Amino acid sequence: MRQLIDIWIGAQTWIFETLVSSVLFHFGLMEWFEPAFNAVEIVMLGVVQILVIALGMRFFERRWPLERWANDDFVAVDRVYTVLNKLGIIPLAVFMVTYPISNEIEHLVRAWGYAPPRLERMLPWLHDSALGSFLVYFILYDFAAYWLHRAQHRFGWWWALHSLHHSQRQVTVWSDDRNHILDDLLMTLALVVFAQFVGVQPDDYILILMIGRLVESWSHANVDMSFGQVGERLLVGPRFHRLHHAMAGPDERHIHDHNFAPVFPIWDIMFGTANYDGKRRPTGVDNPEVDVDNGRGWITQQVTVVGRLARALMPRRFRRATAL
Amino acid sequence: MKKMAFAAIALALGMSGPAQADAVLVLNSEEASFSILTRSGRTELARLPVGREPHHLLVTPDGKEVLVGSTATNELLVLDAKTGERRRVVRDIIDPYHLGFSPNGKWFVTAAYRLDHVDIYRADDFKLAGRIFIDGLPSHMAFDAESKTVFVTLQQTGKVVAFDLEAQAIKWNTKVGEAPAGIVMLPDNKRLLVALTGADGLVVVDPKDGSTIGSLQTGKGAHNFFPKGDGRHYFLSNRIEGTVSLIDTQDMKVVGNIRVPGGPDCMDITLDGKELWVTQRFLRRIAVVDIEQMKVVASIPVGKSPHGVLMLKSGVAGAVVAPVRAASTADDKK
Repeated sequence: MRQLIDIWIGAQTWIFETLVSSVLFHFGLMEWFEPAFNAVEIVMLGVVQILVIALGMRFFERRWPLERWANDDFVAVDRVYTVLNKLGIIPLAVFMVTYPISNEIEHLVRAWGYAPPRLERMLPWLHDSALGSFLVYFILYDFAAYWLHRAQHRFGWWWALHSLHHSQRQVTVWSDDRNHILDDLLMTLALVVFAQFVGVQPDDYILILMIGRLVESWSHANVDMSFGQVGERLLVGPRFHRLHHAMAGPDERHIHDHNFAPVFPIWDIMFGTANYDGKRRPTGVDNPEVDVDNGRGWITQQVTVVGRLARALMPRRFRRATAL
Repeated sequence: MKKMAFAAIALALGMSGPAQADAVLVLNSEEASFSILTRSGRTELARLPVGREPHHLLVTPDGKEVLVGSTATNELLVLDAKTGERRRVVRDIIDPYHLGFSPNGKWFVTAAYRLDHVDIYRADDFKLAGRIFIDGLPSHMAFDAESKTVFVTLQQTGKVVAFDLEAQAIKWNTKVGEAPAGIVMLPDNKRLLVALTGADGLVVVDPKDGSTIGSLQTGKGAHNFFPKGDGRHYFLSNRIEGTVSLIDTQDMKVVGNIRVPGGPDCMDITLDGKELWVTQRFLRRIAVVDIEQMKVVASIPVGKSPHGVLMLKSGVAGAVVAPVRAASTADDKK
């Protein structure tokens, strides 16, 4: 095990020392020395994630596809989203905007004398269990993500952004990262502040993101699979999450307002939003203004969704009849 | 569980006879833990939890306890200086990134790196005497011999600030170079050495007014000092260069370089003065340097981003050597 860690760290150090540290040094950015080293690891983990998706998850989609399409042209843009996210390009842009804000919030709160509570004070046994501690923080993190996801559906202006994620008619393992950059920004800011407040340590945070995003990529897979009667109540799988992407119909106007949980379905079960009916439904949205996302490229989607957000923020009397 | 761990540590250290005084603490800053190692066995005996983001540690003036700054939880973890066993937690010490006791033992000072302030506490009861907000990432500190002034580097703005300890006010605030980090007062009490992490060496600063009176090239990313113990030579880690330089402060020249890969940072020397232990931040290891041979003879796995390191000095040794150290950047009173 230590040998594997040494190989991983050796590669990380080589990349950092060869490509990154001299740039930081040259531009006088040495205060970012440690964060930049961690950023290299995040990019490396992103490459691993892409490989797991492309070689592992795709195998199941090719072998046992749920929906068969004449062509998968709509999927191409989702691959762009995945690469931009996993290789750290979108996260870097999001970080540059959110860091000063989350930093300022932390300064303010800590200036008032508040320090993150850390669960170990309430549950001292967590001190002795790295796995237990990790799981507890993972569950808490997922709880926050569940409620933020509900907010994305609840508020019209936020749905204007998040509907880009739902507009995909060909949902696959590449669809998880299909989000508007402003949506990413809001979610990141909220989750980082939450993580700081409950005291998630940096190392755990990276692992939570890594495992969480892999589960979420798998839950978008174009397969009719689950983790079994018990398992699908413990961990979100493709069958459970596909219902969340179901297209609303006349009889099911709010079918997509179910199965919000990113990783642990317990939140949907607890708060009455779980649906395990197992019916097959087409994916996408029934709003033509949103459905036009299909077939558009990354830049066009990013630009046009800003227009959608602007219309959603306008007073109702100024919106066109067909607007959101 | 913890008692079992300490029993194992005691057993392991006891078995090594004279090496009882050679346990080593290493803070794993991104893993919220500290490692206890044995020098003679060169292995990690235990890894124990500590708050969040621990960076530096130091021995109390009486030599009985070790303080570990847990920056993200605003507290100090107090350990037994002989065994490393947890004793208590001092709360409401805000963002204790770097720590130091004044040589007279009256003041305890912390540099709040993330929150941009320097706090001056009364050392006997950790009551806050003064907080000075100052922009620029307060990083490391050093004291003058009279315990009148603490000097703090500001990594972001490239400055060194001198604070009057009694008045808790700024005496001077001067630009010295790119990203100053480690700082140490030489035994003559007339020269401050400041490592420039954004450059390739150190500058010599006059403690009276902050003027730069000399410089020395050592290696890219010069970061932190540790005294060799003879009152004349100091080690300086160069984080980008991946070396540790040995500096003769009398002739102000580099007399040797040791290759230490993986972003070398904090250092400490074994009681017999034969080995320098250097944290390798990126490699998750601590390097053991044979000082006579001037080369790395071992590299021991520890936790993620190991930062501060301290030799536990059992028995009388700790009380004698400990009093005037700023965390991991001791001045030269050994």
